[in-house]
Formats: sequence, C-alpha cells, structure tokens
Amino acid sequence: MKKILTITLAGAALLIFFSESAFAIPAFARKYGFNCNMCHVAFPKLNDFGQRFRDNGYQIPGQAGLEQTVFETAIPIALRTTAGHSLYNSTDGTTSAFHLYGLDVLAAGVLHKNISFFFVYTPRIDDPAADYTGPGSGNNPSQLGAIESANVVFSNLVPDKLNLRVGRFEPAYQLLSSKRLYYVQQSFEMYGFAGTKNPFNFSANQIGIEATGRFPHGVKYALGLVNGSGADPKNNTFKDVYVVLSETFGKGEGQSAGQRVGVFGYLGHQPTVSGTFVSPNGDTNGGENRGFSRVGGDISLNWRTLNLQAMAFRAVDDRAFNVVQSSSDYTFYGGVVQIDWAGLPNNRLVTSAMYNWVRPPSNDDARRTDSYSALGRYYLGSWQAVNVALHGEYTRRASGGASGLKNNLLTVLLDFDF
Amino acid sequence: MTKRAWPVLLPVCLLLLGLGVTRAASGQQTPPPITEVNVQQLGPQRLGPLPPVVAPPNNPPSSAKIHLGKQLYFDTRLSSDNTVSCATCHDPARGWTDAGPTSKGIRGQMGGRRSPPVSNSAYNPLQFWDGRAASLEEQAKGPIQNPVEMGNTHEVMIHTLDTIPGYVDAFMRVFGESPMTVQQVADAIAAFERTVVTTDSRFDRYVRGDHGALTALEQQGLEIFNGKGHCTACHWGPNFSDGRFHNIGVAEKDPKNPDQGRYVVTKNPRDMGAFKTPTVRDAALRAPYLHNGSEPSLESLIELYDRGGENLNRENLDALIVPLGLSPQEKKALVAFIRALDSLNPEVSAVQPIPPAGLPK
Repeated sequence: MKKILTITLAGAALLIFFSESAFAIPAFARKYGFNCNMCHVAFPKLNDFGQRFRDNGYQIPGQAGLEQTVFETAIPIALRTTAGHSLYNSTDGTTSAFHLYGLDVLAAGVLHKNISFFFVYTPRIDDPAADYTGPGSGNNPSQLGAIESANVVFSNLVPDKLNLRVGRFEPAYQLLSSKRLYYVQQSFEMYGFAGTKNPFNFSANQIGIEATGRFPHGVKYALGLVNGSGADPKNNTFKDVYVVLSETFGKGEGQSAGQRVGVFGYLGHQPTVSGTFVSPNGDTNGGENRGFSRVGGDISLNWRTLNLQAMAFRAVDDRAFNVVQSSSDYTFYGGVVQIDWAGLPNNRLVTSAMYNWVRPPSNDDARRTDSYSALGRYYLGSWQAVNVALHGEYTRRASGGASGLKNNLLTVLLDFDF
Repeated sequence: MTKRAWPVLLPVCLLLLGLGVTRAASGQQTPPPITEVNVQQLGPQRLGPLPPVVAPPNNPPSSAKIHLGKQLYFDTRLSSDNTVSCATCHDPARGWTDAGPTSKGIRGQMGGRRSPPVSNSAYNPLQFWDGRAASLEEQAKGPIQNPVEMGNTHEVMIHTLDTIPGYVDAFMRVFGESPMTVQQVADAIAAFERTVVTTDSRFDRYVRGDHGALTALEQQGLEIFNGKGHCTACHWGPNFSDGRFHNIGVAEKDPKNPDQGRYVVTKNPRDMGAFKTPTVRDAALRAPYLHNGSEPSLESLIELYDRGGENLNRENLDALIVPLGLSPQEKKALVAFIRALDSLNPEVSAVQPIPPAGLPK
C-alpha cells in the first residue's frame, strides 16, 4: 500500500512538474493563472475574494457552469509543507531540533456545474529523527497519516442561499479557521481543549453534512449534522448539531474588508458506556449518552490591511465527563484575540500577535492557560506566485497559574506550497 | 449550561435568519435565462501574448477588403450630415476611442456612454458595453443608424455610397456582386478592425523572456495586478478581459436615470448596471475611464477599485468587487504596470486618418 501511494504521489508530482512547470503553484492558482494573493491575504489566510470563492464551491462567483472541470485541467493536486528549527524552553529544561512540522497533499476542483470536491491527505511524519516513532509508546508521530478532508460540495441548490457540503470537512463553527492560520506551532488553545473525560475535539474536522448560504446585507448561516469528533470509533447513534450565523457590515466578507460578527452553538453527545453492538462500519451502540455544548461568537474588524479578530466561547460538559468533581458539570471558557497586519507590495510581509486564554473550573486550575504569540512571515515569489514563506514564530505559554508550567517556543521555518 | 443556553441562542439565530430571508425575498426575482459568454473558451486564461486573430468563416479577410474597410472607417459620408465617421469616436490617436467623457455624434449630440476601443475588439466575444452585438460585423451596423451617433439609415447610407463610383468599383472588386449591401459595408469595416491588434508591449516582451523589459516597479505592479489587486479576476487572459459583464459600482452621472447596462439585453436582474470588461492593453492612452468616463485618470480608477466601488446598491455589486487595502506604493506600481501595456505596434499606433482627398470619389 505504501509503495502504491509513493508511486502515485511521485507520478502526480511529476505530472504537475512537467505539465506546467512555469506555473508550479497550488491547484486553484494553477488553474486560473492567479497569484496566490488573489484569494489569500497571504497564504494560508483567505481574503474576501477567496472566502467567496470557497463559499461558492470553489467556483469564481458568477461563473458556475462556466468553470473548467477537473477533467479539462491539469491534475489539481498541490502540496504544502513546513520544515524548520525549534527552540523549546520550559521549567523542565531546554531542547532544540530540526523538524518537519507538516505535509499536506491537497486536491480540489470542480467536478460538474455546482459540484466540486476538496481533499486533504496528511501522511504520517516520524519526527524529529527519521526513525522516530514516538516517546515510549512508539505510537506518537508528529503527524498522523489521515484523510483530513474529503468532501463534495453541492453549490447553489438555491442560488447563494443553499449549499451542501458532504463528507469530512472543516466545520463552519470554527469561525476562525485553524487550518488557515498563519501560525504553524501555535493554534487556538480553546479549539484543542475539552473536559477531563470528553474526547470531543473542537478543532477536528467532522464527518457529516453541512448546509451553508448567504443572504443580502451580509448575512450568512451554516447548519450542520455530524457524527461528532473524538470517539474512536464513533460509538453512539446520536448526531451532533450546530448552527452558525454571521453578518458582515460594509463591503467585504470580514476576512480582509468589512466588519463581521458571528455566533455559533454546538450541541453534542458522547456515550459513557461502551457499546455491545458493532456495525460492519465499526460504529457501536454505546449508551448512557451525555450532552455537551459550545456556545460563542467571534468578531473580525478590518482597517486597510489591519485585521483584528477575537473569538470566545463557553463550553459545558456533562458532569459525567468531570473527573475532577463529578457532582457538577465541567464548565470552561476562553478565547483568542489576534491582530494581523500585511505590508509590502502584494502583502509580501505579514506580522501577527495573538493572545489565547482558557479558564477551566476553579477546581481544575492546573489546566488554566494563557499564551502569547507573535510571528512574522516574509514571502518569496514572483508575479505568478508568492508561495515560499520565511516564517519566524514565538509563543510564551503559561498554565496552572503562578506556580504552574511556563514554556517558550521559538520556531524558524520554511512554509511552502506548489 | 447545555439546557440553559440553547433556548436563548436558537431563537436568536432563527430570528436573524428569518430576517435575512425576508430581506432577500423582497428584493430578488428569479432571473430569466440569458445568453452567456462561454468563458470556458475564453478562460480562465493566463496573462500573456495575444494569439492570432481568427476571422469568422463567412467574412474571410483579404487585403482589398481590409483597405476598403479602412476607407469606410474614416469616411464621414456614412453619417447623415457628413460629419461623423467611425474614427470620430474610435480615434486611433486616442487609443481607438474618443476624448470623452462620452461620445459626441452628429450635431454635437452627446451619447450616454464612452466609445469602447476598437483595438483588440476582435477578441471580444460580444461587442458594445452591453454586449448587444455578437460580432464586429453586427456592431458595425449599429452606429450608422443610431440617431445620436451617425444619425443615418442603412438605406440612405447605401444610396450615398452607391453614388460614389470609387466605392462602387471597390465593392465590386472585393465582393464580386452588385448592388452593394449593408452587410458588405459591415464586413469590410470588421475586416479592417480585425487588423487593429496590439500584439507587442513591454509586458509581452517580458513574458516572452526579456526580463529587462519591465522595470522593478512595473514587475511589482504586474504581481499586484495578478494578486492583491484582484485585477485578473476580470481582466484575465491575453486580452486582459474576460469578455463578460460586471457591475463594479460605477458612479452614475444621473442617479435618477441610471444606465442599466447589460440588463437591457438580458432582462436578468443580476445584470443591472453591468458592463463589459474592457481590455487593459493601451489603457493609459484612453482616459477618462469606464463606460461613462466617470474616472478621469488611472489613479482615480484604481482608487475606485480600492474602495470596492461606490456606495451604491450593494446587492447588485459584483461579488468579485471587494475593498483591496492597497498602499500608495501598490497603486503607483499598478499604474506603472498598466502603462507597460502600451502597445509598441507602429502599424496600429501610427495609423493615420485617411483625409477626404484620399477617399473614393
């Protein structure tokens, strides 16, 4: 299997290389001949045009039905990888090493009018040593081999107002996308935080179906029905549901222009008792389901190339998931404030500062977290693509209050895609 | 919390959603089917040198036909009062358009729109700002009988030409039949217009491999044009035009009587106020800009795009138009790049009007 995959990837890479080597840029940019910053403020962060393109099922707005399909273009495959060096310092000591932080294999395109697909495969990465297989367990590579996304989008079922995304996808309740964040090492702390016994992971992609749409005056919605993340395998028959609503004031989508506010709510269930009945697909009839919720909002303010984003939500996990104090629900809250600035012609330079906070229940103060991050990225490229980023990132993270763990992580890396 | 938050959140969401639906329903109608440009053939295409012009099979070019077309193009006798020729509004000395802000026809009448440039119009799938003509041949017939432009009728124009022996002979040589027809006049003019093609500019030389053809500032402008400036979202392909129609939020000169643009042809509400994407080649020669000449300079045009169009009816603004956040340096670079699209084709830029004495008698 590994051999087949290797051959397939090598073949795809060669096809890309020799078919249009002068435009060795990712799938969509290659298709249109656009520079990356047509759709990105600077990759990977989407600008308003890119957001509308994504919302329209990877079709240029107004061009549904006139797009070249994947059968008429070069094979729509792209790669993105990040490699560099990190210096880590904590109260326990200091380490430094070169790393391959991530590798994404992406494919996306239009299948037919208003039917498109998006696919991301992340191969397993053994890191930092070539034969590293994880601390102790031998089961903890820096990146798991996984199908991160595999979904089909049915766009404009009702023009602009109803699109359906089916498969595994990045759910819309992540109003700030962790997948398109400039930061490589630091993500949103709240996205990866959950109650002590609840395996739900807010930042994980979901399997299910999501309806999205837009209305005049900048109103957008999303409704989702998904299995829920975290349980392995999926082990209850409940479906999780979520709703997202946002409005943008002024021209734009709130990504790089206009001012956006949004709210979201997620209602999920996880079993507390293992199931006894297993389907051929591996799902079980786990029982004693208990609920959990996430409710929050975001705001994105723009002034020229300055973007201020903030997101906060409150999370409640049923007491059954609370191993600290089983008599009460595990309630926590937190969020992020991030400010991004882009400068130099064609946004070749971006800088960012970000503050994350997580506030668990008072009886679980060891998990209280504050982190402060900053980064700078300078992009190399040409009029055809600016697809190589020189990236420097620093995070100071403190958890557990005044007497808790403090650490610093400084990373310098190359982030490139083609 | 689970039980407490949802009863509050859900009604709020449904209320806001309902509000959006209601507002949408009040302002939109189901658009009728329209004839769209086949962008699949046009693009998406990369910026690059122009390919050879392809003439339609029913109007093959010949040197005699092109020469006849050129004579007709510069001949004011096509108009009702012998004062206006094609070249009056599509002046080679002005980038094959007029002085603006809109066109001036017979008796000094002002048209509502600016003349689209003739140069490279051979690559347009549809002609006129609103695309109401499907070919150059069809387009050439229009202004002759437009009361504001040439103010003539096809019959009177043909009668006029038929009284000029030099034209009678020329039409017979080119078309081999008599009497001459309006279609022959249009065919000859279109054949000439297909020779007005600007295949060489410093940009073309740059993409062909002459890396010194563009200055550093112009290269910067090219990158912005194709990236942050979003220009290639519409101005794509070798002719820097998608050939389609967009409402980019142009300021109306008469807000009470707005120009409906492409809507007049399609009756599709989404085409209200939409106009054809013009080529950017030789744009620096063609101030003022836009269909109504409302932007006096390249600098002001870029300012318009930078602020995402004027504050007009936002619902009909093209989804491709968003504020850009361009810096002064980026705007300067864009202007520099657009100037690098000035043609270096002497056979086009040096076309001289044929004086009355040189026209058939």
